[in-house]
Amino acid sequence: MNRKLKKLLLNWKVLLLIIFVAGSIATLAVRPLTYGIDIAGGVALIAQTERPVDSSTMEIVTDSLQERLNTFGLREVQIQAQGNDIVVVKVANVTSTEEANSLKKVIESQGVFYMEFNGVIFGTGKDITYVGVYQVKSDNSWAVPFRISKEAAEKFAELAKGKPGWPVDMFLDPPADSLLVVPRSIYDLMNSTAFNANAPEAPYLIERIESAFNTTTVVYANQSAEELKRLANGKQIVLAGVGAELVDELKAMNVSVRYIPKQSGVTDEEFIKKVLGLYGPYSLGAELAQGEPQTDVQITGHASNRFQAEQEARTVYTVLKSGSLPVKLKVIGMEFISPKLGESFKTQALYAGIAALMAVLLIVYLHYRSWKIAIPVASTSLSEVIIILGIAALIKWNLDLPSIAGIIAAIGTGVDQQIVITDELLGGDKSTKITRRSSTLKRIGRAFFIIFASAATTIAAMSLLLVYFVGTLKGFAVTTIIGVVIGTLITRPAYAEIAKYLVGEK
Amino acid sequence: MAKKKAKKPGETNEFRAKKREKLRFLAEMEPKKMITYPLAVFIVALLLVAVHFPPLGIELRGGVVVTGYGISADPDQVEKWLGDQLGFSVNVESFTSVDGSKGIRVYTPANADPTQIIKALKQKYPDADYTHSEVLPTFGELAKRQGIRAIAFAFLAMAVVVFLFFRNPVSSLAIIFSALSDMIIAIALMGVFGIQLTTATIAALLMLIGYTVDSNILLTTKLTRRKEDTIEEAYLSAVSTGFTMSTTTLGALFMLWLISTSPTIDNIAIVLIFGLLADFMNTWVFNAGVLRWYLTTRGVKA
Repeated sequence: MNRKLKKLLLNWKVLLLIIFVAGSIATLAVRPLTYGIDIAGGVALIAQTERPVDSSTMEIVTDSLQERLNTFGLREVQIQAQGNDIVVVKVANVTSTEEANSLKKVIESQGVFYMEFNGVIFGTGKDITYVGVYQVKSDNSWAVPFRISKEAAEKFAELAKGKPGWPVDMFLDPPADSLLVVPRSIYDLMNSTAFNANAPEAPYLIERIESAFNTTTVVYANQSAEELKRLANGKQIVLAGVGAELVDELKAMNVSVRYIPKQSGVTDEEFIKKVLGLYGPYSLGAELAQGEPQTDVQITGHASNRFQAEQEARTVYTVLKSGSLPVKLKVIGMEFISPKLGESFKTQALYAGIAALMAVLLIVYLHYRSWKIAIPVASTSLSEVIIILGIAALIKWNLDLPSIAGIIAAIGTGVDQQIVITDELLGGDKSTKITRRSSTLKRIGRAFFIIFASAATTIAAMSLLLVYFVGTLKGFAVTTIIGVVIGTLITRPAYAEIAKYLVGEK
Repeated sequence: MAKKKAKKPGETNEFRAKKREKLRFLAEMEPKKMITYPLAVFIVALLLVAVHFPPLGIELRGGVVVTGYGISADPDQVEKWLGDQLGFSVNVESFTSVDGSKGIRVYTPANADPTQIIKALKQKYPDADYTHSEVLPTFGELAKRQGIRAIAFAFLAMAVVVFLFFRNPVSSLAIIFSALSDMIIAIALMGVFGIQLTTATIAALLMLIGYTVDSNILLTTKLTRRKEDTIEEAYLSAVSTGFTMSTTTLGALFMLWLISTSPTIDNIAIVLIFGLLADFMNTWVFNAGVLRWYLTTRGVKA
């Protein structure tokens, strides 16, 4: 008996199952599961482009949306393109309906892009007529060529004459007509040569945005909501990393207000750029400072490594492109779930899962009147759940409710097939021990024919769901496929071995 | 779990034999009846689907749903009160979570503003938790088209794989028809019980394909590849396995439905229960009838 048990445990199919379960538990321990917004809370917005676009345009649309939503200071923004006209935006930790609606506005409004020099706006997104493919050279310098309209070129030539090395700024969705409330350190940085490229004599960033966008910057010194309202004088108030507690009060006073949190690990300089939607400043090249209008220009930069250079070039490319975003988006669906409810969803899914497993255990027992069959069936299914969850954690799949339904589906077919294996092993009631022994292999083979056929059909059907279905069902297809693959390759073969040991020939 | 003392190996088999005897009435049914009864049910279901299609959920139709958790109120009263407040009519239904807490769902047409509804509700129930979903008819149209496409393609994929595995038109077509009939009956029952067609229930209908194929492949394999038993014995052995499978899955789904209060999981469970009940008939009566008729007329070692 003991030797047989040892043999069973050393069987490679059983070993594989044990390794996978252990690996999954380890994975879950170091990398906890992430949940979809329907469990963790947040908002999902489904937007449609006004007309179908090709995949490269779609990429620009999603990239520029990412850039623009980042300026909102949201921690987790997930943007997925689906098909040729759908963009799904998922944002975690959005707690109020107002916030969700402002996201909707950002998605639906096209990015507002400005080119500014010396406090004067000389061009907008409309003035960018063409953006070339960016180049990254072997010395990690990069260049993004683009073309601007004749009017913008003329205006720029006049402004820039004799000012080589001065800062050229580009903005995407800057807070125009605003009172910008910042901490002292940020104020001092904006009011210094830090953003002046190679020209200390040029006006500081704080003056440039005041003159270009009518955006006034003040230091936060625990002003009351009333004081800020008076200072704003009808303008929008942008609270940058300070005064979060004033938001509700100001809203109640009918002041348009936006709070942008400063995340840890973000430097003051990065934070300023994010708040202002600032790209640059870029130093003005000498050849553009001669007063001659140039329509074909380029932005160049240099990074410490190739990856960095790619990234910088790509960002500039995206920003320039999004200034003249080729298509408009319309939000056609929105789902909003408050995070408080997520906790109860999670515990409920857990309870429901345990209850279903208990039901399986009990019903299988009632059918066979044998715990020797019921316990392995239920625990094999449990290990299947653990492995699916482990893989989900490994590939950082966001578990949403449809994903959980997919796991249920996989477990359901899993139990079915374990029953097929068991019945094949037990054989007909009339068969004698000798015939049963001689046909065990054949019977198991037949069980696996059934299992493979049904796995093949399920995978075929679910792959099509994955490819052709938009919206929220991808999770369902993914977890079902993972479950079926795990089941066919790992848990069912191991169960067959265990069942052979427990009910098979003695 | 405490380990029970080992039972005699014979006990399990004895019990299974008893179960098998109980299912013998199915084996003694005439193949002709086995084919015609399920066909009649299929036609009734088809008619039901034609005259009473399940209602479309908001993600397929477009609309706004506001859910308020922790509100215990008479839905009719809220409906009237909210309608007066907002100036347009709304639909309100109440629900109870498993922990005993109550809540309401407010349904309105697509052009309504959910913020306005939440604001109105907050006057009366300031402590409740609110969520909302909003779908424009354009997306509804899109989701519907894609739902139909997903089901059609999944069905085709299933049919192709089944053909590849069995390479026999009669048994393959019987499986495909069973899957179709399962789906139609499930949709008809959804209509009867007023369960909405949503992306989640479409997923459940797709899941049905998987379960159907499982049981049908089991039956077909047992009957056509059987080496040792008579058709009747092979059928009995398959149907008793099928019975175990169906009851186990049904039990698990029932628990899921009972415990969960998430509409997504509830609806998936219920549609699967409908489909699996239909599947029991379609596999073990209809498909078995077809196969028995086919195998006996072909005169294969019956």
